[in-house]
Amino acid sequence: MSVGLWIQIILNGVAMGVLYSLPALGISLIWNATGLFNFAQGDLLTLGGYVMLTLFGMMKLPYIVSFVLTLAVMGLVGYFISRIYFYPMLEHRVHPQIILIGTVAASVFIRNLILVIWGTMPTTFKNPFGTKVMNLGGIFLMPHVIWILGIAAGLLILLQYILRGTMVGTAMRAVAQNQTAAWLMGIRNDRMIALTFCMSTAIAAVSGILITPIIPLTPDMGGLISVKAMAAVLIGGLGSFSGTLIGGIAVGVAETVFATLVTPTYKDVFIFLVLVAFLLARPGGIFRAHVSEKV
Amino acid sequence: MNNLRVFWNRYGLLIVAVLLLLVPQFTTQYEFYVVQRGVQNAMLVLGLVILIGYTGLMTLGSAALLATGAYTYGILLLRLGWPPLLGTIGAVLVTTLVGTLLGFPAFRLSGPFLVVTTVGFGEIVRILILNWEPLTRGPYGLSGFRAVMPTTRGVYYVMVVVLALLAVVTERIGRSRLGLAMKAVKEDEVAAEVMGVNVRRVKLISNALTAALAGLSGVFLASLTGYLNPDSFTANESTTYLLMVVMGGMSNVVGSVISSLFVTVLPEVLRFLAESRLLVYSLILLVYLRIYHVRSSKARAKSAGSRGRS
Repeated sequence: MSVGLWIQIILNGVAMGVLYSLPALGISLIWNATGLFNFAQGDLLTLGGYVMLTLFGMMKLPYIVSFVLTLAVMGLVGYFISRIYFYPMLEHRVHPQIILIGTVAASVFIRNLILVIWGTMPTTFKNPFGTKVMNLGGIFLMPHVIWILGIAAGLLILLQYILRGTMVGTAMRAVAQNQTAAWLMGIRNDRMIALTFCMSTAIAAVSGILITPIIPLTPDMGGLISVKAMAAVLIGGLGSFSGTLIGGIAVGVAETVFATLVTPTYKDVFIFLVLVAFLLARPGGIFRAHVSEKV
Repeated sequence: MNNLRVFWNRYGLLIVAVLLLLVPQFTTQYEFYVVQRGVQNAMLVLGLVILIGYTGLMTLGSAALLATGAYTYGILLLRLGWPPLLGTIGAVLVTTLVGTLLGFPAFRLSGPFLVVTTVGFGEIVRILILNWEPLTRGPYGLSGFRAVMPTTRGVYYVMVVVLALLAVVTERIGRSRLGLAMKAVKEDEVAAEVMGVNVRRVKLISNALTAALAGLSGVFLASLTGYLNPDSFTANESTTYLLMVVMGGMSNVVGSVISSLFVTVLPEVLRFLAESRLLVYSLILLVYLRIYHVRSSKARAKSAGSRGRS
């Protein structure tokens, strides 16, 4: 195979991987803040995609407007999920296993809500970036690949700025580090955790919006994507920002390369085997997050 | 009230079993089929009582074990021409083996990490069934094998008796040395290890038992429907089983049997829910977890003396 073709495959893989990284980042953020592993992340992503479908595909709003509106709506959804559901359970120290079951139930609930509202037919909306293949010096790429990479990069920089450069972000990180100490410093834990949920849901929604040119929307697409996102989180290192990003890209590239070189049928199996191997050999992931809960 | 509870604890299972044995007398053919599915689901849920309720290992791969049992039965009968009884034994053995292998990741992983592994396992099994066409006929589905017993009624009575036996055994396991070890592992692994419990062995055994029950349930599923399709073993099914065991009270045997029957039969009673069945279930589960567990941990905090908020 020529070098150009390789670059093409890898760039496609990176674009796919970034889309896994975004929900994975959400999982990582929530894990840091609350010690809760959100199994509903993939379905929140799907919900974001469907909200976009309604705003952009059906109501014909301009792309930018519907993008921002979707983010706002999904952010609110995340905020309220935390306020009315997960924070009260965390506050009363409900057994972590019960909360875990709660996130699984939330995932099923959202999936079936989508099914009831929008139906089971795979749908998609017009690709806003155009469908003409671009030729960059012998490398053929769809324009959305470039756009995905650009938007994701911008989003990640924005996210880093919010977390590192603003008061709210600092407060969020303080809550993630030590809830009691943060509380004593006058930080409202409930608000910060709700904000974390809000942020991670909004990031997942970005991924749900951008993924539609690649994968059509179906109510249960969240399942497979969330497993990939979890793989990204665990391979990269749960709780680590750059680890999650790299883990997602690794999953995306590995999947695309495997699909091209070996067979697309078993690409998901391949990813799971890699994940299991990682969990057994290096449970902390590439960036060695702390997995063990005690001792 | 207290007497009633003692009475229920002693005879609850017997009452349920007798009611189940009477069911074929006054149901239509379709209703009968639904009840059969309920009994078959209850077998798998008993396994989950051991794994989730006793040992505290979460799983979302139960549908994959069910599929392993069902497909092994079908393949053994169709391709190798084994008689049904031998096929049943073979299927249960194969599923147990697969399930025990699934126990090994549980040595090092806990909580969400373990759940992700089981989700991955579920997807692998589903994809393999879908694509391994020479053996499973993939999306076309597998059919044409014989049922466990010649008559439907016969199968049903066997199922109810087996279920009752399994329920008694599960209950006894819960109170045995092994069951206490499992519960110790659930509460605190390190403390259990210090007390001389072989944590790895306990985890392997509970995985094996769960898998055996799932395999048996799969055999009866294959025998009931006579047709197997990869679409009936999705992650949604695993979640439904999880719902059944949680609604049953996690480690309550009779409760789990009743909740599996209830959750299976409910959509037939409430036909208008057909489309949104899982929506309603998950909502019930969400509300139940939120209200019941927050209240019970409030009560716990109160009885432990007020420590103030954290």
